[in-house]
Amino acid sequence: MGKADCEEALDRLFEYIDHELPEDEVQRIGQHLKSCPPCETEHKINEKIKRLVNAAGSEVAPDDLRERVLATIRASHADH
Amino acid sequence: MTTDDFDFEAEALSYMDQLYAAALRMTRHGADAEDLVQETYAKAFAAQDKFTPGTNLKAWLYRIQTNAFINTYRKKQREPKRSDAETVEDWQLAAAAEHTSSGLASAEEQALDSIGDDEVRRALAELSDDFRMAVYLSDVEGFAYKEIASIMDTPVGTVMSRLHRGRKLLREKLRDYAAERGIEEKPRVKKKEQQDGGGRHGQG
Repeated sequence: MGKADCEEALDRLFEYIDHELPEDEVQRIGQHLKSCPPCETEHKINEKIKRLVNAAGSEVAPDDLRERVLATIRASHADH
Repeated sequence: MTTDDFDFEAEALSYMDQLYAAALRMTRHGADAEDLVQETYAKAFAAQDKFTPGTNLKAWLYRIQTNAFINTYRKKQREPKRSDAETVEDWQLAAAAEHTSSGLASAEEQALDSIGDDEVRRALAELSDDFRMAVYLSDVEGFAYKEIASIMDTPVGTVMSRLHRGRKLLREKLRDYAAERGIEEKPRVKKKEQQDGGGRHGQG
């Protein structure tokens, strides 16, 4: 397997970021990113966005929802 | 494993915050999100005999919730956001396989540091349901492509294309927000000053 070029690196960037690539592919793409600043910038941008989405994702369920769900379970126990 | 060793109820309930967060992203509405989570649990408890202990309960619950969302809420909402999927043309996708001029890209990368949670949520809310859910399941819940495929009942290739397109749109929206803000505030910090990356320059 030869070196990855820009097209391949960018094409597989999301798989790289999402840890969906086998180890040898990770090595190849990683090597290209290290040696190509524009691709590395793309990599950093997309990784940053992934982190932003992750950070904005968490919420705590309201207490009354918890109560409602527990009531649902009790009702389903009563059915059995 | 018998059902005696496995506390379905406690395990299932431990995912409530996550299911609620996902429901908020799906429905974009607090009251609808609560109804959706309640419906998800009602369905999950009714079907708990079909769950195999030792398999991925979290993914199983997400699948139930996703189906419930598609069947109930999507119909109700009449899907006004659907058009995103069609507006991304193939030529736009092809353009993604080239990098932008490096000056612009590094300015974009720095601008992302000023993006807040509200803006990310707003940008997500503007995506079509399929794109938003794929991005959410990957970025927030950390599901593998295969698991997302199973939750969304679609081939892995479709998941990848939804992620690709959804993230591209998300990035454009975040770029627009940063640009809008830049116009309002006037450029006050020269980009070069931030290149050390670490310290915040604050109001300076």
